[in-house]
Amino acid sequence: MIWRIAWKNVWRSRLRSIVVISSVAVGIFAGVFSVAIMTGAINQRVDAALNEEISDIQVTVKGFRINDDPALIINNSEKLMAEIQKTPGVEAVCRRLILHGMANTATASTGVQIVGIDPENEKKVFSMYKKVMEGTGDYFEKETGSNLVLIGQDLAKELDIIRYSIDSTLVADLKAGGASEEIITKLSSIIGLRFSSEALFVKKVKSMLSGDEENKYGPIIIKKAWSYSKNSRLILTFLDKDDNQVEAVFRLAGLYDIKNSVFEKSVVFVKNDNLKKLSGFPVDSYHQLIVKIDDINNTDKITASLKKLLPDYDVLNWKEIQPDLAMMTGMVHLFYGIFMVIILAALAFGIVNTMLMVVLERTKELGMLTAIGMNKKKVFSMIMLESVFMSLIGGIIGMIISWVVIIFTSENGINFSKYAEGFEALGYSAHIYPQIDPLFFLEVAALIILTGILSSVYPARKALRLDPAEALRTE
Amino acid sequence: MKVLELKDVHKIYDGSEVPVHAVNGVSLVFQEAEFAAIVGPSGSGKTTLLNLIGGLDKPTSGEIIIDNTNLAKLKSSELIDFRMRNIGFVFQAYNLIPVLTAKENIEFIMSLQKWSRKERDARTFELLKAVGLNDRKNSRPSKLSGGQQQRVAVARALASRPKFILADEPTANLDSKSAANLLEIMQKLNREEKITFIFSTHDARVVKMALRVITLEDGKVISDEAGKTPEQNMI
Repeated sequence: MIWRIAWKNVWRSRLRSIVVISSVAVGIFAGVFSVAIMTGAINQRVDAALNEEISDIQVTVKGFRINDDPALIINNSEKLMAEIQKTPGVEAVCRRLILHGMANTATASTGVQIVGIDPENEKKVFSMYKKVMEGTGDYFEKETGSNLVLIGQDLAKELDIIRYSIDSTLVADLKAGGASEEIITKLSSIIGLRFSSEALFVKKVKSMLSGDEENKYGPIIIKKAWSYSKNSRLILTFLDKDDNQVEAVFRLAGLYDIKNSVFEKSVVFVKNDNLKKLSGFPVDSYHQLIVKIDDINNTDKITASLKKLLPDYDVLNWKEIQPDLAMMTGMVHLFYGIFMVIILAALAFGIVNTMLMVVLERTKELGMLTAIGMNKKKVFSMIMLESVFMSLIGGIIGMIISWVVIIFTSENGINFSKYAEGFEALGYSAHIYPQIDPLFFLEVAALIILTGILSSVYPARKALRLDPAEALRTE
Repeated sequence: MKVLELKDVHKIYDGSEVPVHAVNGVSLVFQEAEFAAIVGPSGSGKTTLLNLIGGLDKPTSGEIIIDNTNLAKLKSSELIDFRMRNIGFVFQAYNLIPVLTAKENIEFIMSLQKWSRKERDARTFELLKAVGLNDRKNSRPSKLSGGQQQRVAVARALASRPKFILADEPTANLDSKSAANLLEIMQKLNREEKITFIFSTHDARVVKMALRVITLEDGKVISDEAGKTPEQNMI
């Protein structure tokens, strides 16, 4: 009976209840969806790190990680790889040669890490081959005999390898997209000109178009004006095994884009065969053995197995190599909980206010109920249930809305390209696909019920302190 | 059979300047099936006396004994439970729970006392019939007239067969026809259920129908007279 009365009381003042329920729904939607965005961003970062940068486990000679000393090399790599492959949970192993050097073009140079890979074997561990930008190369697929190098898109920009120009194809695309002759005329002075600097090109385009025109056509122009020659070359300079300087010309095998500008600017990939010939390192010797495992949840277990198998080597998993990522994934659940508690605490003030109004308006009725025999426990329960019902209805609506929005955005993603530069500087993609653990909804539901209960305490205590005789005399 | 006894009951309120002696040494005994009216001018202590009898307030001194239990000795939580089981209330207004139907309002006390569904339904049907509202059982109070609401309140007060019913100005907000109707029903139930009714009232019609009239002035009983006999009182 108390449940029924409480439920019906919620709808006595329909508008007021709808306002409270709506505020809870909006708050829960905002909280859950924000958590989904953060979860998606972090999961994407971890995926990217594991699939494109560091993988699950790395094996090196002890001390190599301190400063990448090329003399600290793993010999008998073939034998070690075979042993590692036998370990339960290991899916694939590849090997890398790591050298530091300079990448030079005619107009620019920069320090890079030169990573020697076996392209086919590398595919089993890393998905870098999927990140080669369309039309820029074939990821070492075709043997040509010359030295090939795969570099990051941002490194290509830094080395002035990429050119920006408005050609006839781009003009046709602009017209097809609705650009008027007036806009084409405005751009005519730079049509056919090639810019080596993205910043200069963008500045020029902006100066020629109005604000609205730039907003509408600027992104298309910048995206499609980009080009580079597949015959582009750069010179890699590094020290061989005897510390002699080596310079070699490499032809581009393609540009990769992993939305991590720090990585893209600093790491280049070459074939192990090419690098061995140039550096003189022995055939079976490499600096890193990279291990991919079948289930990320088994990382610690498999790491322990490999440490036991290879006691003379440094065996580190991704949590040890990038502890910031481990911290994020480990503590993120705590942060989400705190975040939701803060949102619910704010909502609780609204619920407390509403319930106080309810108690004030129903003073005489509460006096009557106590007079005819409703005890304090039941009065408290009735008020508490009203508060919980409102919180829960709002919470359920909020969770349903967030679930629908998350499903939609998890497939289509949310585009933060306006802030792409900032995102990629931190190693995050600017296109985020929200994700949520279904268990999180249960945790939120529990917090909502707790909020409803706690919000009712003060108003219910006020109701319990009413003297029935005085309450009945209230006008 | 004695259902209620008041022994030298005093109630003093500590006012801002002067203490107010709202009930001043009242001693009364009520028997089963009495139909008694407590009358007196405003400020005579009628409502205070009713609140004391109903356990809504505690006397400063004296005893109020119902079924061998002294109300003055009960704790607050015990009083609430005691009221539920032994005392029925009919107030001047705001008697009913607005979100429940007439039927649900009558069932309310019985559900608090954990009667079975079958017992509740049987008793509710009996009372709805007695007050003539079986056809309005599914109506909420907002859809009932003042008189109909008071009839539901009387039915609810009777639902758990209390020792007596306290009615504080039950006809005050009713038109004459509704008031007469209500009083007729209460009188009938008084005779049939043998439940004691104690009214606090200014209404001359109630006084006229009462079998006993207790007059208060300045918190004291100044007269306690038998009215008509039950036979004389039958309409």
